[in-house]
Parts: sequence; structure tokens; C-alpha cells
Amino acid sequence: MKTLHIAVVALAAALSFAAQAAFPTAYSPIEVQPQVSASGQHEFDLRPAQQRARRGGKALYVYLGASDCAYCRKYEQFLEANLRELVPRFAPKYLVVDLRSQLSVTANQLILRTEALRLPYADFQRAIGDQRARLLVYPNVWLLDAASGKPLMQMPAGTGTFQTVPEQIEILDLVE
Amino acid sequence: MPIRPARRRLLALALWPFAARAAEGGLPTNVGHGDSSTQWEHLRGQLFGTRPIASGADSVVQLVVPLRAAYGASVPVKIITRVPQTPERYLKRLTLLVDKNPSPIAATLDLTPALGQADFETRLRVDEYSHLRAIGELDNGTLHMDSRYVKVSGGCSAPPNRSALDQIGKTRFRLPEGLHPGAVTPVEVSVVHPNDTGFELNQVSLLYIPPHFVRRVQVAYAGQKLFDAETDFSVSENPSWRFNFVPRERGLLTAEVEDTKDGRFTGSLDPWAVS
Repeated sequence: MKTLHIAVVALAAALSFAAQAAFPTAYSPIEVQPQVSASGQHEFDLRPAQQRARRGGKALYVYLGASDCAYCRKYEQFLEANLRELVPRFAPKYLVVDLRSQLSVTANQLILRTEALRLPYADFQRAIGDQRARLLVYPNVWLLDAASGKPLMQMPAGTGTFQTVPEQIEILDLVE
Repeated sequence: MPIRPARRRLLALALWPFAARAAEGGLPTNVGHGDSSTQWEHLRGQLFGTRPIASGADSVVQLVVPLRAAYGASVPVKIITRVPQTPERYLKRLTLLVDKNPSPIAATLDLTPALGQADFETRLRVDEYSHLRAIGELDNGTLHMDSRYVKVSGGCSAPPNRSALDQIGKTRFRLPEGLHPGAVTPVEVSVVHPNDTGFELNQVSLLYIPPHFVRRVQVAYAGQKLFDAETDFSVSENPSWRFNFVPRERGLLTAEVEDTKDGRFTGSLDPWAVS
């Protein structure tokens, strides 16, 4: 009985952890769930987001988070804690796209689809000229031009170097 | 209780590859590219004493580095010299520093006028938010510096890429823009080498991988020295150097490479044969 109780608590905690896994709603993100194939490929379709961003005259802030990634939660909590400063910085320029993944989805299984491309992670990165092809790191952020699907600037692996308000603003302002 | 650096690395690496290995937020952000640091003040005294160092518009050396690179273990670095390399005036020495790396002197290059133009590109490891500095010394003894503040981390403890272990030491030349007889011609030399720092953790044994890195690269054309580089593990794995030479007569580009386990490797290219 005690074992069952522990298991239920652990499951509840895991579900709670996963349920919180998201870009904060105040940033009005578009949530994109993957289409999962029989072979285990997780395909994220960015095309609707591209179209919507173009209509709004915005670029894409594409966030790849994993439901079971502590560093993703840390970034999301940072965003949540700084809504007042950051939402007005995101809103005029970017349409946030929240790709919901899991740590178990590896680079080979992760397919990214834009209007121009439909490729596994590493090939996609090489095709758009992003230097982060070698390793998929969660969380991952791309700033993409809505028309071309190409990066507005080279982003770093992870989000740890822009988890202060001034640094997040540097990113939004494309400071290289 | 503060976490010891070794323990912190262990903790960070235990989370690999799930964790973003980037710096924690909250590190200094209001640092100017031209600012000093305690590490630089110390290094400056050790390397250059009290000699004046020109900077800003007075410097003939320019450093181009992104504020944030894709990976801390591979930060692209470009050094541009604002004067051509001639026998009458040339950059004779170039020192690359990463202020906050465990071993901050990444490379020291002895240069010759045969380069034609003393511009270089390479990739460096950067362990934490830090200034990168290029200090050049002209043949008249004057010192010139440029610096950039870079926001990356973990470059010295990033898991190594072991995809080509059987090719360690393989040294290749490449002419990215073809041969320009009699004119400045870009060329790249690269060495397949893990350039292990000693701070990388073996993911299986959980033991630190002993340091093993390229410590010297000597490059010549037609038997004439172009440059010699004394290097450190702050240079990224598979070290590469893009530089220039002036092919006036037919000859071979040659590189002699030495690592910290006394491995000696060579590579050569007949640039006229591939043009």
C-alpha cells in the first residue's frame, strides 16, 4: 500500500512537472505539438506560424522545450518572473512558437518543417546556416525570418546566456 | 556552501546532454568590450611588463568575435591586421588570450612578412563569460591590442567529439578561394585532434580525460617560414588556422605539428597542383 502511495505521488509530481512545461501564456505563444510517426519521428510544422507571423509583420521566436527538462523549466520560470519587462519587448517583434518535445526525442528523431524545408534537426540546421548542427540541446531557441525561415542571427546552444532581463533584451534586439 | 569547480563541472556534465550547458543567468552583462579584468592586469604585467599597448583606433589589430557563439567549445575568432605584412613593416608576434580560461594564453604566433597579410581565423574554447584579446607586436616593438567580451561558457569541459580517433594528427591544407599567384591567398590548415583540456569528463568511466593537445604548429611555404604557433588547449578540438600567403614561386605548403604526448604529424599541399 505504501509503495502504491509513493508511486501515485511520483506520478502526480511528474504530471504536474510536465503540465507546467510551456512558454508562459502571457507571451501569447503558438503551441505546436509534434506529429509522431510510427518510426518515432517527431515532426514539428512551423508553416502555420510562418504564415501568421508574416501577416502580423513579425519574426518567429521558436522555442524548443522538453517536458522533462529542468533547464527548460528554469528558462520558462525566468520568463514568467519578468513578464512586465519582457512581454512588451517580445510582442511587437516576435510571434512566439512553443515546440513541445521531450528529452528522449533525439536529433535524428526531431524533424523540423518550414515552408522551404522538411529535415531532421542536424540537416535542418545546416540548411539554414545555423552552427548548432552538431548537438541538439534543450531548450533551444531560433529567431527566424518568417518569410525565408532563415535565422536572424546565430543563437547559442541553450538559453543560459540570456536568462537575465538585459540579456534577453539583447537577444530580442539581435545584438551580436 | 559554495560548490567546488570540479564538483560543479561534474554536476553539469551529469546532466549532459539534457541540460543547456550555457552560463547561468546573472553573470555580468554590463561589461564593455574594451574593459580590463583582474586576469588581464595580471597577464599584462607578466607578458608585456609596463610597455604601452595601443588600442581602439590606434591599434593595427582588430578582433572579430560574436557576443554569443553557438557552442562555448568552438568560438569563431578572426584577427584582422590593418597594415599589410611587408619586410619594411610587419606584425612579428600575435598573442591570443582568453582572460578567464583555466589557461588563458590560447596561442602565441611568430609571424613573417611572407604572410602578405597577417589575418587569422581560428576557433577557441571559452570557459565562462570573458574577454578575448589579441595583442600584436609590430617589428618596431610597438604593441597593439583589441578585445571582445564574449558570453559563452563550458568550453573547456564540453564533451569531446570522438568521431575520428583513428585519424588523430591528420593535417590538411585547403585553399578556400583558390590560388592567386603573386597575390595574397587565403589558406587553411587543420589538424584532426581532440585537443583534450583535462577538464572533460569521460561519460562512461566518469573520470577526467587527461590533457592531450596540440602545442606547436609550424607552417612554411617553399621552405620559407610563414608562422609558428605555440598553442594551448584553449584552441578548440581539431585546431584550424586560416591565414594568408603569397605564392610567388612554385613550392609546397607544409605544416609540422607537435602535441603534448610528443606526437609529431605533418601535412603538405602543392597549391599549384590544386588550382
